[in-house]
Amino acid sequence: MTTTAFPPLSAAARRRRIGGVVRRDLAALRRSPVRIFEIVFWPTVELVVWGFVTVYLRAGDVPFIVSTLLGAVLLWQILHRASNEVSMGFLEDIWSRNLLNMHVTPLTAAEYLSGLVVFSLTKVVFSVAVMGTLAYVLYGFGILTVGVALVPFMAVLLVLGWALAIAAISCVLRFGEGAQVIAWSLVFVFQPIAGVFYPVSVLPSGLQVVASFVPATHVFQGMRDVLAGSPIPWDRMAAAAALDVVYVALALALYTVTLRHARAKGRLSRFGE
Amino acid sequence: MRAVRAPAHPGRVAILQADLLAKRFGPVTAVEEVSLTVAEGEIAGLLGPNGAGKSTTLHMLLGLVTPDSGRIRIFGLDLERHRTEVLNQVNFSASYLGLPGVLQVREVLDAFARLYGLRRPAGRVAEVVELLELGPLLRRKVIDLSSGQQTRVQLAKALLNRPRLLILDEPTAALDPDAGDRIRSLLVGVAREWGGAMLITSHNMREVERMCDRIHFMSGGRIIATGTAAELAGLFGVADLEEVFLKVARQ
Repeated sequence: MTTTAFPPLSAAARRRRIGGVVRRDLAALRRSPVRIFEIVFWPTVELVVWGFVTVYLRAGDVPFIVSTLLGAVLLWQILHRASNEVSMGFLEDIWSRNLLNMHVTPLTAAEYLSGLVVFSLTKVVFSVAVMGTLAYVLYGFGILTVGVALVPFMAVLLVLGWALAIAAISCVLRFGEGAQVIAWSLVFVFQPIAGVFYPVSVLPSGLQVVASFVPATHVFQGMRDVLAGSPIPWDRMAAAAALDVVYVALALALYTVTLRHARAKGRLSRFGE
Repeated sequence: MRAVRAPAHPGRVAILQADLLAKRFGPVTAVEEVSLTVAEGEIAGLLGPNGAGKSTTLHMLLGLVTPDSGRIRIFGLDLERHRTEVLNQVNFSASYLGLPGVLQVREVLDAFARLYGLRRPAGRVAEVVELLELGPLLRRKVIDLSSGQQTRVQLAKALLNRPRLLILDEPTAALDPDAGDRIRSLLVGVAREWGGAMLITSHNMREVERMCDRIHFMSGGRIIATGTAAELAGLFGVADLEEVFLKVARQ
């Protein structure tokens, strides 16, 4: 009866199912000019605003300020996009009343999340490429001046963004559609704490302790160090990577628990109503 | 009310076996002591008034709702422990579900063909497109389709993996009588040809009489009677299934 399908637990079937999620989202992106516009619009607005701020500050002869602020804007977009695009993929399943269709396929939770993550990666790469080009053309700031450190910086932020998205999705599963505002805003909770645009030393001492447990803190401080001419702070990057592992583990555990809860309480069914 | 238990198709393999399912949502008992089997090649109906527990039962059989107690075995496998293997051979369509509106019909079907791990998605999509006469709609966005056309796309999605068990929650609710009639014929034909099993809920009693080999009648979260349409009418002392429905609903 199902000889036309790969054995459901085979690697080929898993790849095919993850590919199904990615292809679906890519097709949705292609068919929705608003979403393509959005990829370019918000990052560009941020870049232009902060760009002019830095031009103003440069006139005041503040050292490194141009590169650190523009670098922060670019790296922040990686975290923001990584988080929002995964959440968006999930919310679109809710908005189109398609979530139950997804949950009655053989797709596992891990495969579903992997599909969303892979798709978000393509959008983040595109978004950063647009912003990087604009930063260079408009303000002469080349993101590649950060050097090889860009790789661990981006990796840590991507993984953190995905972890936050999975946590946000879990909140929507737990509390229903009304909680979707969490999907947009959770990442912004970390913006003031992580010292995106300023060193965490300006924070109150209690918040500095909190900040040390946020992976992004180490990335943004690391970026400022590198742009100031210091070597790549690998110890910081190692700490950030370790924290990322903890964040992802917690997010996945939260997702597992909330999905089980949603099935037990019949909440999953209500997403189809 | 007295429950009757018609035997499942003797000698046929039970595709679906649910034993003593129960589900409560807070103080509300949605489903209680529901046991049912669906045999290979059988089209079974699940009937009952609104709030009888039909959809909750179907959702438990699909793994969307976890039963408080009871056991579900599909193809001889425990649903909870073998979810991926089971769902690979099951499909579902319901009048209340949607599909990604911005996608074209061909993109929706291609995505779901992949979600079911099909080896040759394009070939299978072409088959279901022909079966449900979706050719002219292939390049149209789902959001631009009428509700009847969307139902046909949902059904095409539900047939993509040649399911051994097809679960349909009011499959023809959005269709006009002509389209509904053609879809019923198609579904019966598909079930007979593939030898798979179907479990259907519907409020269209003629549809149920025409399609179903056996009907499980639910009320107040329980299956109160099981049998053919004629057997149920006889049991309740009325002329047909519609009168059975009215009698149960008004009691």
